[in-house]
Amino acid sequence: MEESNLSIGNGGGGGEEEEIETLRFLDSLDGYVTLLHSLSSTLRQGWLELASARHSMGSSRVSSALLDLKVQSASTTCGVTDSVDGSPSGPHYTLLKWVSSKEGKCYSGEEGSTQLQKESSSSQLRRRGLSHISEGNEEASSAASDSHPTVDNIIQKQRTKSLSVFGALVSPKLRAAQGSFETALETIVELANLRSAVLSAHSRLQEDSADVVGTS
Amino acid sequence: MYGFEAMTFNIHGGYLEAIVRGHRSGLLTAADYNNLCQCETLDDIKMHLSATEYGPYLQNEPSPLHTTTIVEKCTQKLVDEYKHMLCQATEPLSTFLEYITYGHMIDNVVLIVTGTLHERDVQELLEKCHPLGMFDSIATLAVAQNMRELYRLVLVDTPLAPYFSECITSEDLDDINIEIMRNTLYKAYLEDFYKFCQKIGGATAEIMSDLLAFEADRRAVNITINSIGTELTRDDRRKLYSSFGLLYPYGHEELVVCEDIDQVRGVMEKYPPYQAIFAKISYGESQMLDKAFYEEEVKRLCLAFEQQFHYAVFFAYMRLREQEIRNLMWISECVAQNQKSRVHDSVVFIF
Repeated sequence: MEESNLSIGNGGGGGEEEEIETLRFLDSLDGYVTLLHSLSSTLRQGWLELASARHSMGSSRVSSALLDLKVQSASTTCGVTDSVDGSPSGPHYTLLKWVSSKEGKCYSGEEGSTQLQKESSSSQLRRRGLSHISEGNEEASSAASDSHPTVDNIIQKQRTKSLSVFGALVSPKLRAAQGSFETALETIVELANLRSAVLSAHSRLQEDSADVVGTS
Repeated sequence: MYGFEAMTFNIHGGYLEAIVRGHRSGLLTAADYNNLCQCETLDDIKMHLSATEYGPYLQNEPSPLHTTTIVEKCTQKLVDEYKHMLCQATEPLSTFLEYITYGHMIDNVVLIVTGTLHERDVQELLEKCHPLGMFDSIATLAVAQNMRELYRLVLVDTPLAPYFSECITSEDLDDINIEIMRNTLYKAYLEDFYKFCQKIGGATAEIMSDLLAFEADRRAVNITINSIGTELTRDDRRKLYSSFGLLYPYGHEELVVCEDIDQVRGVMEKYPPYQAIFAKISYGESQMLDKAFYEEEVKRLCLAFEQQFHYAVFFAYMRLREQEIRNLMWISECVAQNQKSRVHDSVVFIF
C-alpha cells in the first residue's frame, strides 16, 4: 500500500491503472468484511433457531446421537475450478446444493439453476413416475401437484429428507434453522470466492507497484 | 359425583400430597428468573441456582459448564423426587404416578430405534434417554428390525404393550413409520390415561380430564403444523389425533384439511379457550405458538393446586418441573450463545 502511494505521488505512467487496482482491492476487501459480518449474523440466528427447536421438540428428538452414520452421498457439494491459462484470478468455488443421490442431479446452486430449469421441463414425464411415492389423494390440487412436480417441490423434498434424521414430523423451528445454515453455506462459498478476488487484486497491486518501482 | 374425598384421601394420600405441595413451593419464581436472565456466563447461572433447591445437584460440577450438564442435573433432581414419591405410594396412586412416565418411555423407545436405524452405538443412545422413561430391557430394542419384532422381543413385557395393538406391522422401520409409531403410541397412551383417571373419579377425574384434553388438543395442532408440506397423508394425519378433547371430533375434521398455519388458526379460533392463545401470535407466524401453549398449560397446571384430595397435583407438579427445566435450558442456551436479548422468547414464568 505504501509502495502504491509512493508511485502515485511520483506520477508514474501506470498511476491511473494503479488507482483503479487499489480501488478494486479496497472494494473487494469491503465486500469481504461485510459478508463476514453477514455470515456471523446468519450463523448466530441458525444456532439460536436450533436451540429453539430443541426447546420445542425436546432434547431426545434433536440430538447429535440421531445423526446418520450410514455411508451416504453428500446432498451438497462444493466444486473448485482452478484458474485457467495461469490468470491470477484464483480458484473459483461453486456450491451444488441438494444433489439427488438417485440420479446424481443437482437441483440448486450457481451453475445448476439454469440446467435445472431445462431438466425439469424436459423430464416432467419422468418425474410423473414418482407420484407413486405419495399415496392416493382425493384433492384435485394435490393430485395436480404430484403429477407436475416443480423444481421447488423437489428441493423441498430433498430438504425434508435431510431433516428426517430427527423424525418425519419436525417443528417449523428446525426447518428455519436448516434454512439459516443453508444460507450460511452459500455465504461461505461466496466468501471464499471474494477472498480469492481480494488476494488476486492484492497480488496485481503488488505487481504493479513492483513494476513502477523497477522502472523508476 | 365427588365430595367425600376429605374423609378418606389422607389415609393413603395425605403424606404424599403434603410432600408434593412442599416441592411445589420450591419452584423458581419470577424474581429467580429475572436474576438468571441477567447472568453473563453459565457459571453465574450455577451460582444463582446454588441458592435454590438445585444447589446440591450443581455444586460439584466443574467449570466450564455446558447447558446439557445443567439440564441433566436439574432432571436428576426431578427423578429423585419422583422415585421417592413412587416408592411411598399405594394403589391407585402408584399406577397414576407410573402413567406420568409412559410418555418418556415412548420417547426413549423411539430414540433407541431411530438411533439404531442410523447405526449409532447403543450405549451412546442409552445415555441420551430420559431417566424417567427407562426400563430393564430397553437396550434390547436395538436388535428389532420391524414393529412386530419390537413388540415380541421387548415391549410385550412393558407397560407400553397394550398400546402396540394399533401399530403392529411387519413393515421395516423407517423414518415415516417410526414417526407414525411414536404418535400412535402416544395417542393410545393418552386415551388409556384418560380412561384410568375417569375410573378413579372425583376431583382427579375432573381436573385430569381438562389437563389431558388440553394435551390431546395441543398434540393435534402440533401434528397438523409439523405435517404441513410432508408426505403424511390426510388419513394418516387423522389417525394420529386422539379420540377425546375439545377438538374431537369436528375440530379434527377441519384440522385434517389444513395446509398452512393460517388455516389452522381459522379452525382453532372457533374454540374460545384457544382463541386467546392464537390472539397472541400474528398471522402467518408460528414461532411463538409453542410459548403461548406452554403459558396456557402452566395456568391450568397451577389451578390444579387450588383443590385438595386428588391426584392431579402430582401430574401438575411433574409438568411444572419439566417446564422449569425447559426454562433453564433456554436461559442457559441464550447465555452460552450471547443472545440474552432473546431470552424472553421462550421463558414461561410459573409464579
